[in-house]
Amino acid sequence: MKNLKKILALLIAALMICGTVAAFAEDVDLPRTETLYFAGQQWGTVNSWNIIGTNQNNSMAIAGNAGGYRTLMFETLYMYNFMNGEIKGLLANDDYAWNDDMTQLTLSIKDAAKWSDGTPVTADDVKRTFDIGVEIGNGTGTGLKGYIDSIEADGKNVTINAKLNDEGKPVNPLKVLDFLTGTPIAQAAWIDTVVERNNGDAVSILNDAGEDVVWSGPYTKYYADDQKVVLIRDDNYWGQDESMWGKLPVPKYIAHAIYADNPAGENALKAGEVDVCQQFIGNVQNLWLEDELPISTYYEEAPYGVCLTMPTAWYNFNLPVLAENPALRKAIAMAVDYDTIIANAMTNQSPSFSDVPRSLMNPTEGEQALYDHDAVADLQWAGNDIDGANALLDEAGLVDTDGDGIREYNGEKISLNAVCPNGWTDWQASMEVVAAAGKNIGIEITTLYPEWDIYQTVFTNPSQTEYAIYMWSPDAAAPSNPWQRVNQFMGSEFVGVENNWSGNWGQYVNEEADALIKKIPVTTDAEELKSLYTELTKIYLTDVPSFSLMYRPSLFHAVNESVWTNFPSGDDGRNIPPADCTDGYGIAALYELELVG
Amino acid sequence: MKNTLRQVFHSSKFVVGFVIFVAILLTMFIYPLVNPGNPLQMIGVGTFAKPGTYVSLYDATKTNTETFRLPDADEKRLVKLLTDADRVAMVEWFDAMGISVEGLDISDTDALLDMWKANYDPAAKPKGMTQAKRNFYKRLNNSIAEIGAAETLIITEKNEETGELEEQGKITKTDYVNTSAVANVKTLPLGTDNFGRDVLKELISAAGTSLLIGLLAGAVATLVGLTLGLLSGYVGGVVDDIIMFITNIFTVIPGFVLLILISYSIGQEQRGATVVALVIGLTSWTWTTRSVRSQVISLRNRDHVNLSKLSGHNLVRIIVTDILPYIASYVVMAFILQVSSGILAEAQLSLLGLGPRTTEVPTLGLMMNWAMLYSAHTNGSWWAYFPVILTITLISFSLNLMNTGLDQVFNPTLRD
Repeated sequence: MKNLKKILALLIAALMICGTVAAFAEDVDLPRTETLYFAGQQWGTVNSWNIIGTNQNNSMAIAGNAGGYRTLMFETLYMYNFMNGEIKGLLANDDYAWNDDMTQLTLSIKDAAKWSDGTPVTADDVKRTFDIGVEIGNGTGTGLKGYIDSIEADGKNVTINAKLNDEGKPVNPLKVLDFLTGTPIAQAAWIDTVVERNNGDAVSILNDAGEDVVWSGPYTKYYADDQKVVLIRDDNYWGQDESMWGKLPVPKYIAHAIYADNPAGENALKAGEVDVCQQFIGNVQNLWLEDELPISTYYEEAPYGVCLTMPTAWYNFNLPVLAENPALRKAIAMAVDYDTIIANAMTNQSPSFSDVPRSLMNPTEGEQALYDHDAVADLQWAGNDIDGANALLDEAGLVDTDGDGIREYNGEKISLNAVCPNGWTDWQASMEVVAAAGKNIGIEITTLYPEWDIYQTVFTNPSQTEYAIYMWSPDAAAPSNPWQRVNQFMGSEFVGVENNWSGNWGQYVNEEADALIKKIPVTTDAEELKSLYTELTKIYLTDVPSFSLMYRPSLFHAVNESVWTNFPSGDDGRNIPPADCTDGYGIAALYELELVG
Repeated sequence: MKNTLRQVFHSSKFVVGFVIFVAILLTMFIYPLVNPGNPLQMIGVGTFAKPGTYVSLYDATKTNTETFRLPDADEKRLVKLLTDADRVAMVEWFDAMGISVEGLDISDTDALLDMWKANYDPAAKPKGMTQAKRNFYKRLNNSIAEIGAAETLIITEKNEETGELEEQGKITKTDYVNTSAVANVKTLPLGTDNFGRDVLKELISAAGTSLLIGLLAGAVATLVGLTLGLLSGYVGGVVDDIIMFITNIFTVIPGFVLLILISYSIGQEQRGATVVALVIGLTSWTWTTRSVRSQVISLRNRDHVNLSKLSGHNLVRIIVTDILPYIASYVVMAFILQVSSGILAEAQLSLLGLGPRTTEVPTLGLMMNWAMLYSAHTNGSWWAYFPVILTITLISFSLNLMNTGLDQVFNPTLRD
């Protein structure tokens, strides 16, 4: 009996030791000086490597970001550089060409470009990637079938036929360029395998986990669980050929720990456990001014990053009080104190609306030059104009008749909510400021912060009446912008679309604007383009279907130089965009990293 | 009654608790009179201004000056612009650039600065030096440029018509203004929060709201608990069984979990301060019920109760006049504890983002919630959350102290 107890105790002890060892053994050992750590991209366990699927939570390998597609594992034909608008060849040679009436675009695939299984990348892969997208309705297919009619393949040569409108002109040549920089190419042979094993069923193809996927990029999957995801360098990567980079990217591993929330990621950055952090960090300058950490951003002065997008408050046109009262829409927008939003929510990581007056454009020079500033100056507002807003409301007959301090419309007091997802701190702060503005002009505005999964089903529902004012950002930078963004602000093509992630989240309809939006893609004359954009800006600022609250970098870029250095920065003359060292031409940074010391 | 009160105020614990509580109450009423205005007004544009006194620079330049020749003024100015660590860093730069520092005394400011000015190049990229470090030297260089700034600063104003700058005044290094003479001076004893609100003003207003929530929650919990306890204890039988069945169910489910679930399901739009208080009250009555019931059971068969029954008094009258007075002291103590736990519950709920909807009234929990969302605890803005914690602690400490004091007076087993 005594012995039995001893044996049992020993057994249990042995089990415990084994358990601990097993737990440690499972942990992958990544040498710090060979690993580049990220934060702010991956928030849950990776569930799919299927590049043609839609059910994805795989931000390190499969992510079309505002700054260009993430080409760590899967590659696009071209890389977009939002710093100068350049489109640079990746899988394809630099020289793509339009025919004269922009109905056909031709390009050729690099001779060196190879898949991970050693077979060359061909034009057939490009064609198959587009065709399967249309067939099963993934992002590529649904997003581009309205603009690309077909793709022809001939060995290494690709011809893209643009979709033509009734007049025989291309619908939108800009969106064809988006295909070049925004669509990752999948291997035709692998697509066939996936189609076969799912018996051609579209839904199951979209949800296939794609563990056996074939890739062309410099990294591939190495390890993924609920704690982290790790990619490992593919030392056979074709891009070390002289016709591309001429070398391999520097870090052997790309790792992203899965953090619970922003503060956790921020602390890891401070501790030097994270090298590249794509998270909003309030008062980021304190990290080096006060904490004296070796952390820097793309620019050393505010706004620290490149602001490409404008988080926007959308008015719900399903609510009669908002749809029928342009004066109300404009008054609220005029009363909001944007300087407070920018100083509080963005901690000044955004130019103010006095510096860059509001329009449909982001604050980059290229876009700002696209409209006539003087022509719309009278319509613009810098915010916190309580008197002006009150006067506008009084004039429109929206007055307080029962003396409770709240104005009425059709005998009912005007009561709206201002909504954004819970935990999105900077947006929540913005909504608080909007609500405070309402108080100043006799409109009841209460804030509401539903959880993200609830929020996303409601605001993408075209007939919802639950949210009155709610936030979402239009697209940031792509070859098709600013046209794409203007279309998202005012284009009626998105009105009534179920599960609408594409644009016009307020369901605003204006035929005049629609007509102008249609003209832009096929206009090449600079002056005419400018007058079109100016007209649209006028309509937007008069009708106020939505109002932008701030300018914001679409990607944040804070780097800790404890281990790695030579990250891109605004003054280094390399023109590598601050796109997280992974997106579009931003991936060039990975080839030039150096170890500290 | 008078005697009871005298007894109560002889308890030192009760008196200390009472004094703290009254002091908090008085502050709540007096401070808004001294410093009126909306406590939620965002006066600061920017986050977390440090506590201190802020002098309007604009007004200060237009205020009459006195001249003081303070012996250590220059040195203070220098220390502010160039610390000892900066001097060491400058030598590191020379090293990195391969410049000989032989014979250089870093405490010799002039020699150091001369050498710096002769050698620093903002465009240089010493090998192995990080971007962060290069940025540091750029800032240091700007700071060094300040050291050599002119003795006199000239204030100019732009002429609207000609567009030229016209001199309006001069500021020399020996000019001082009396802060009381400056038109706008704002003292923020606890700085501002993430929205740029005056933390002290908000805190005092929030303490009031939280106390109201606590009082309401406490009142509801005590009322429900007392009623059910009295009925269950006095009536007994099936009524007792039913009530105790319900009470037991509520006791087994952890109250806070229930609170979270209810708060979540009623949704943020409905969650005003009153609703939150009601929800807290309705989830925290069980222990009062149980203890009131057990006390009533022991009272039920006392002679005076039986006498009252024989006299034909009805249920309500017996409970109110013959039973309630005997447990009144206990109920008051339970109420005080309920108020205290109500305040804590609001703080906990709000911290999780399930408190009253924001923008209407400040509460202690909401202040902590926003401070946490803006990482005040990691970025060193202690004034945004620490005073809030201290206030919550003080309020519940004073209430608990009063409760203990009362206990000592009324509980025979504890009486000295």
